[in-house]
Amino acid sequence: MGNRRAKGRNGEDPVRDYVDSDMEAPRLLTLLLMLLEWTRPGRASPLRPICDLRVLKHFIEEAKDAEAAMLTCKEGCGLPEPVTVPQTKVDFNVWERKNAPEQAKEVQSGLWLLSQAVGSLRGSVTDATLHSHIDNSLRNIFSIGQVLRSLNFQVFLRAPCQEYPPPGVGVSGAETWRVSSASELLQVHVNFLRGKVHLLLSNAAVCQQGGS
Amino acid sequence: EKKMTNDHLKKLLVYCMLCCTQKIIVQGAQTFQTKVALLRHVEPNNPKCFAEGIRDLTCFWEEDEERAGSAKQYSFIYTYQNENSSECNVTALPAAGGRILYFCRLSQTQLFVPLDIQVFRDGLLIHNRRLHIELFFLLDPPVNLTVKRTEKQGQLKASWMPPPLKYLDDSMMYEVSYVIAGTQMGQVEEVRASSEVILLGLQPGAKYSVRIRVKLDGVSYNGYWSAWTDPVLMATLPGDLDPLIVSLTLIISLILTLLSLTVLLSHRRFLLNKIWPVIPNPESKFQGLFTVYGGDFEEWLGYSAGGLCLRPAYFYSEELPAPLEVLSEVSLDLPSSPLPPKAKQAPGEDEKLKRIDSLMERWRETPHEHWLMDQLRVLHQLPGPQCSQLESQDAYVTLNAQNHSGEEPLDDILEETLPLQALFASGRTCSESHSDLGSLQQSSGSGRLSTQSSFEYPNHTWPPKGPGYTYMAVADSGVSMDYSPMSSSRIDYMGKGVIYTNEYRNEIPAHRQPIPFAF
Repeated sequence: MGNRRAKGRNGEDPVRDYVDSDMEAPRLLTLLLMLLEWTRPGRASPLRPICDLRVLKHFIEEAKDAEAAMLTCKEGCGLPEPVTVPQTKVDFNVWERKNAPEQAKEVQSGLWLLSQAVGSLRGSVTDATLHSHIDNSLRNIFSIGQVLRSLNFQVFLRAPCQEYPPPGVGVSGAETWRVSSASELLQVHVNFLRGKVHLLLSNAAVCQQGGS
Repeated sequence: EKKMTNDHLKKLLVYCMLCCTQKIIVQGAQTFQTKVALLRHVEPNNPKCFAEGIRDLTCFWEEDEERAGSAKQYSFIYTYQNENSSECNVTALPAAGGRILYFCRLSQTQLFVPLDIQVFRDGLLIHNRRLHIELFFLLDPPVNLTVKRTEKQGQLKASWMPPPLKYLDDSMMYEVSYVIAGTQMGQVEEVRASSEVILLGLQPGAKYSVRIRVKLDGVSYNGYWSAWTDPVLMATLPGDLDPLIVSLTLIISLILTLLSLTVLLSHRRFLLNKIWPVIPNPESKFQGLFTVYGGDFEEWLGYSAGGLCLRPAYFYSEELPAPLEVLSEVSLDLPSSPLPPKAKQAPGEDEKLKRIDSLMERWRETPHEHWLMDQLRVLHQLPGPQCSQLESQDAYVTLNAQNHSGEEPLDDILEETLPLQALFASGRTCSESHSDLGSLQQSSGSGRLSTQSSFEYPNHTWPPKGPGYTYMAVADSGVSMDYSPMSSSRIDYMGKGVIYTNEYRNEIPAHRQPIPFAF
């Protein structure tokens, strides 16, 4: 989705009088500002809310397929090093005490961690079938980001393999833990999607207002 | 007074709460027992665990009474991933079949994380299991199941209230079972993420029994099928007559009707004979009775309608045969055979016998084929008794079966060679019950004797009149005359030869004139 200018600063045509040299600098400056205005990364038009959970259910099914495929792998399917993954447990007494932004922030952080962990697994897996599953999982993670953005949740995931963590991502052990096997990683991936992501999307305020 | 009222109100409130609590506890216990019974059949692993909501978990196992111990002997240890272990208090309940049920209930749970469960008995591990709680839901059945008719035929709309569980609404799936009441003919339909369904393709005018159960869809949450709700009965709208079906029915009915008519017409005679048999008409046996005489039987018989001594021959059809002597005009060698045996004559009939004798003499003199007619004429001229012609006409027919010399074999004597002579005896009195000869029809050369009366000889003791007489008993039933040989006057005669008999059949002449006979 490329940046595009929704509206220009003014609709005036560029100055065509070259005779007056005193006005040449301001005119050039104006032109530069206009050009910068055009190229400035502006806000995209609001997306239509994606409240249909069948999309997420499809992602969950594909994550389950990847986990099942990883269980059958014996060689060439290990993590090069332990990775940090989000906590997937949901205690509803605790979850309900959090407000929507906090829940969204927790989900976004977890998605980022998962994207990093699955990305590192992608580089170490040699099996072609597993490779496709992992690629699919990565695409689904970022698609979920798009869904979150459509629901007016602030999303900090912009590109795959983003090096810097989104702001607010906690590194405390309460919200994360480390896994050392690929099967554990993909199991965490499934549980996270089924749990927190699903809870967040199914209770989005935009969708509760009747939008679909 | 206010204080007392408040106290009363408080007591009443406490009592109501206790009752409600007791009711809830009882219902909860029944629900628990129902779910335990349900899981006992579908879950092979131990302990058997189920979650009724998003915050609880109940696990149970059963032991035989022999091996079972107290609840304190058991330890239920559960451990969430990356967390420390915890212990749950075990409770024991009596179960069916003499078993003990042990269960543990967690009131605060964590979903979407592996849970390890270990059960120890006296320090020994007896059960070990890892599970995700969100995959073991066993919900209560839906409530308020309502079934309504739609405006269209063959449809019913079912709606219900899903279990009141937050976050699980869009993950529930339902199974709607609808069968025709009283039968097993029905279907099961699956419904996802909706609390109503329209059942299609139902029979019009049929009563359906609808029930429903619920389960998590298996994507984010999973579990067991709940128990069925209580069935709800509803009848569909009666169906309209399909024009195609009506037309086909009419066509088939018409075809069947035409086929039936064709079969009936082809077998109408047979069916009529079976249903309405024809009354037998004896008209064929009485030729001319209806066609000529219009059903007047007397006319047909030849008797006057006013005769007091009307004794038609048919009335005496059951008379016993009587011996009869028939004299035949064989030849001139007729010995001066004695006259036919004298009937038992009433006084005053000597005159008639004399006439017979005279006739005999004439027969000896004029043996020709038409001697009979001559005799008839003679007899007709003779004055007869005062009785009617009917009663005065007696006839005796005697067959002379041999030459009376005793030398000729009897087997040479055939009846056909013997002229038949008829002797007309004197008439009887009217009061005597005897058969009368109505008329005597000559049949030249045919040997037939047409009579209309039965012959009766009251005197059965027929004295033998000489050698060679063959006596025949004649029974005239009015239709035919049966001749049966009787004992001869000479026994040896019977043993020597063959007695030829012919069956004489009466023939009613078409135009018969009664010929009066009189002696």
